[in-house]
Amino acid sequence: MKLEKEHLIKFYSLMVRSRKLDTLLIEALNSGRMAGFYHAGQGEEGVGVGACTFNMRDDDYLYPHHRGHAISFNLARGISPKGWVCRHFDKNPGEVEGPRPEERGIFGISGTIGGGFVLSLGWGLTAKKNKKGQVTLSFFGDGASGRGTLHEAMNLASVWKLPIVWVCENNQFGQFVPIKDAFAREDIADLAAGYNMPSAVVDGQDVIAVHEAIEAAVQRARSGDGPSLIECKTCRMRAHAEGVPDVNHTQMRSEEDKAPWRKRDPIILLKEKLLAQGIVKEEELTRIEQEAEKEVADLDQFQAQCPVMLPKDASILDDFLYAK
Amino acid sequence: MKNITYVQAINEALAEELERDEKVFIIGESIQQGAFGVTAGLVKRFGTDRIMDTPISETAIAGAAVGSAMTGYRPVADFMFADFMYIAFDEILSKAAKWRFMHEGTQSIPAVFMAAMGGYLGLGAEHSQAPVSYYMHTPGIKIAIPSTPYDAKGLMKTAIRDNNAVVFLYHKALLGLAGQIPEEEYLVPLGKADIKRQGDDVTLVATGIQVHYALTVADQLKDKINIEVIDPRSLEPLDIDTIIKSVEKTGRAIVVDEDISRCGVACEIAMQIVERAFDFLDAPVQRIAAKNYPIPPGAMERFVLPQVDQIAAAVKAVMG
Repeated sequence: MKLEKEHLIKFYSLMVRSRKLDTLLIEALNSGRMAGFYHAGQGEEGVGVGACTFNMRDDDYLYPHHRGHAISFNLARGISPKGWVCRHFDKNPGEVEGPRPEERGIFGISGTIGGGFVLSLGWGLTAKKNKKGQVTLSFFGDGASGRGTLHEAMNLASVWKLPIVWVCENNQFGQFVPIKDAFAREDIADLAAGYNMPSAVVDGQDVIAVHEAIEAAVQRARSGDGPSLIECKTCRMRAHAEGVPDVNHTQMRSEEDKAPWRKRDPIILLKEKLLAQGIVKEEELTRIEQEAEKEVADLDQFQAQCPVMLPKDASILDDFLYAK
Repeated sequence: MKNITYVQAINEALAEELERDEKVFIIGESIQQGAFGVTAGLVKRFGTDRIMDTPISETAIAGAAVGSAMTGYRPVADFMFADFMYIAFDEILSKAAKWRFMHEGTQSIPAVFMAAMGGYLGLGAEHSQAPVSYYMHTPGIKIAIPSTPYDAKGLMKTAIRDNNAVVFLYHKALLGLAGQIPEEEYLVPLGKADIKRQGDDVTLVATGIQVHYALTVADQLKDKINIEVIDPRSLEPLDIDTIIKSVEKTGRAIVVDEDISRCGVACEIAMQIVERAFDFLDAPVQRIAAKNYPIPPGAMERFVLPQVDQIAAAVKAVMG
């Protein structure tokens, strides 16, 4: 597809909204008004947004990853962030408008890194059995490339020619370990050759480049030609999780290492392109930013007045445990 | 009624469910040929899209089952030996068992995880285990263990139709066991124990091949002691009420289990008996289970696996 102005503005808006929601949770966790985990995703929005916004059908399947707790993927698939925000504050949002994640093929995230490969294999199998041209987009970080599940799933997906697009969001760190000390080659995409599938390495900071690479891979999968592996190079800009040190093994990561990536932040990169090519006026982008700012402030207010997620009694757990 | 073997009964159940519901398929390593015969001939009838051979990739087999189950299919994942399921415990114990719970009941995982379990064939530590307690320990997954051809067929059909993950463990020393089953279709529910033999003096609880050892002991001692043999058939859900009712009648209970004794199934059932029927007990509850060793190969396995004479000794002990 040819990307028109409206598409590019959609990319911009989705990335800005993801960033501001990510920032909300970072602030909330670090200030103590939210408990639990948060694995920030800022700086990596170009991957989920570029891949998922215009390349997927409603009945496709999507395995996101834990960075940003999948917010950019949810927004790109048209899912309201209300549930996402409330969940993090342990609040009950009540009925949320719009599709539920599973109605857009997002069934959840494995608590174990690399658990998504084999689940995605199952969705790919379903897609092939259904014969309706569905595809599965399965995202993983560079860290997950250490799992044996990658081998089992990629091998079988290729043997069975399943409609799966494997997308590595290489942000260069698996918790505290840099990928250069954890993987024997420069590019994770090189694994594809071993499974006889095509691959590409793209600039994960460039939302348009990501869109185009995934578009080609999705077309291939949809037409029955099997899986591909796309590696998007990006950089984790914060610690693995909020509250843990941002170290390379044991040494603090330097601002110098991050600076070149910060300069090529996916939001800034797109903004510069849009302005340089005269596609939009700066005021338009400013308005998008202000709208996102307001949306997030409103969501924060909304969650504050929602009740705690605590049903009347524990009997509801029986319904969670087993289907009738 | 017709005569059928245990392995044929499982095969019939699979064939009938494959026939009945096009969403059912079987996936596993070398299952088109099959190592134990439970899937024999199915590929000829249902084709390679529904009887899917895989490479040696246990996590992929289990994960593909979970993924396809949450998107509308009813997979039966075969692991050949129950021991090999350990490789896929993240997929079975965390994904299959917890995914619905983690998503607050909005999704379900109608998948069957099937394998041959058990010893008495001298196959050593990694091909003889009865790894049942792991599943019983994990909320969110059901467990069926048939001891007869009748139960094997009825339980498998129920397991496939259940909207939850079910581990189906058939005993590989029972494959050739013959028995009667109805000509017409029937189901055996999960969570309903079967009293395999009525008696008033001692309650023996056992599953799988241990049911037959318990029945052997009951027969040996029948002139002096009336033994009631209860086969729970599924350990989750567990029909504890039938067991308690029996213990209230007999006042004596022995739990036989082929899994490792320590933290095993027998501990759990014995404790539930103590909690609910202590006042009825005339003797301490006994357990007969595999001793706390890996299973040795060949003839040495008798040092570890439960034996008929141990069950008989336990019966005599509780009778005083």
